[in-house]
Amino acid sequence: MLQKYLFYFQYDLLSSISVIITLVPITLIYQRKAYADPSFRLLLLFLLVKLIIDLLMFHCAATRVNNLVLFNVTIIFRYILMSGMFYYKFENKQVTKFIMPLSVGFSFFTLWDIWYCNPDILNLHLHQIVKYSLTVESLLMIFWILLYFKELIGSLKVPNLLTFPFFWICSGLLLYYSSLIFIAPTLHYATQWDVRLDIGLLDRIPYIFDIISITLISLGISLFSARYYARH
Amino acid sequence: MQDTEQMKWALLIGTLAMLMMAFFVISFVIYYQKKKFEEEKKLNEIEKNYSKLLLDTALNSEETERRRIAQDLHDDIGTMLSLTKLSLNQLSKRITENGEKEDQIMRKAQSLVEETILHVRRITRELVPTTLERFGLAEAIDEFIHKLEEGNNLTICFQPGEEELPRQGQKIELTLYRIMQELVNNAIKHGQCSKIEISLEMSKDFIGLRVADNGIGFDPDMIKEGKLAGLGLLGIESRLAIVNGTVQYSKNATGGSTALTQIPMQAVSNSKPEPLHPFRRERVTL
Repeated sequence: MLQKYLFYFQYDLLSSISVIITLVPITLIYQRKAYADPSFRLLLLFLLVKLIIDLLMFHCAATRVNNLVLFNVTIIFRYILMSGMFYYKFENKQVTKFIMPLSVGFSFFTLWDIWYCNPDILNLHLHQIVKYSLTVESLLMIFWILLYFKELIGSLKVPNLLTFPFFWICSGLLLYYSSLIFIAPTLHYATQWDVRLDIGLLDRIPYIFDIISITLISLGISLFSARYYARH
Repeated sequence: MQDTEQMKWALLIGTLAMLMMAFFVISFVIYYQKKKFEEEKKLNEIEKNYSKLLLDTALNSEETERRRIAQDLHDDIGTMLSLTKLSLNQLSKRITENGEKEDQIMRKAQSLVEETILHVRRITRELVPTTLERFGLAEAIDEFIHKLEEGNNLTICFQPGEEELPRQGQKIELTLYRIMQELVNNAIKHGQCSKIEISLEMSKDFIGLRVADNGIGFDPDMIKEGKLAGLGLLGIESRLAIVNGTVQYSKNATGGSTALTQIPMQAVSNSKPEPLHPFRRERVTL
């Protein structure tokens, strides 16, 4: 089994790195005690879920088993937890009251999308990536990030954004979702088990930006100061 | 095949455009936030300077008004009382010859006039500290505490510092003097103390005024909470704001409290301070 893992690690280095790199922000959150902030607690939860699912997907990929059902399930968790971070960060309560209903709505939409793309839901071998949910998730997350940036500029509460942890987390997420928004619909066709559409190196873009976003998230966490958070 | 290639290019261009937009948004947020903060800082600075100017004007007006009242007391009331005293003296000589009862009433009137003259002089000096402008801060404090000790059962120690304090700008000296007055009054009025220690401390860049008492003291944290606003501490801070000074309060281990005021040293101008007495006002010829 170990040989299979090593072989797959070398075979798909980029996706393997994107799995392993998740350990960096998790370690940093514990080291910097960033879990004191509820937003960072949700981020930690997301990173742990992501690591577990990514490891399971790595195992499936290494053993030549269709792992797309895990990918589809991740979309729901990722959106709920990522938008949940903004629930604690937004100061405008008019905005926060939309976050939870949208998360519930999005979860039902993704479940419908999974069922729509996979009429034979029990056939995991030929399971396919969702068609629309990834794009909708990207749009919604970009919307929350831009709205948060607007609030950040308007409130003038942060003197230096470059030392503000959540700014780097938002930047990482913005880059990730911007890279995903156009590629997301094609992934449905490009990652099918039997007949796949070749989009060349474009399918590497999500992995590259996953690594970039995790790096920026790590940078943000490394700037977190528990003492500073306690004071505010 | 060609369609797939076109789609790949479209996807690549679209993704690159989105990424460029994301980079632009991030850079814009950083730039805009920085710029807005600088503008806000400038605006705050202007507002702060304006408040400082208003405060300065108010305090100057107060000092001018004190000076005007002192002038009026000295020139008008003082002169009139002196003349009254002179007239009473002349009248006294005539009354002495006539009767004992009238003489008693006359002496009482003379004594009252003399007392009033002394009161007017005291009030005039309190309104405008002439010693401060003529001889400097150390002498003015010395004079103040001597007068205070006379009428109270109070011990006041004053240490003018090891080195002789060089003359400072009029504003600095007056600020320190008024603050000293306020702190000493607070110690007597609210602190119920029996001993006050005043010292002038000089460093390379700052002049320090330390006022310590052995009274009931107060919790310095209460100032931050705004619970001691009635002690004239706001007035002290307002005066200090104009000369970029600071004040720190602490509770003494042995009881009472200490206030340390620090003001940056200011180069002494060559021009002599404008004297308060003799007054410059033109006298009206009757």
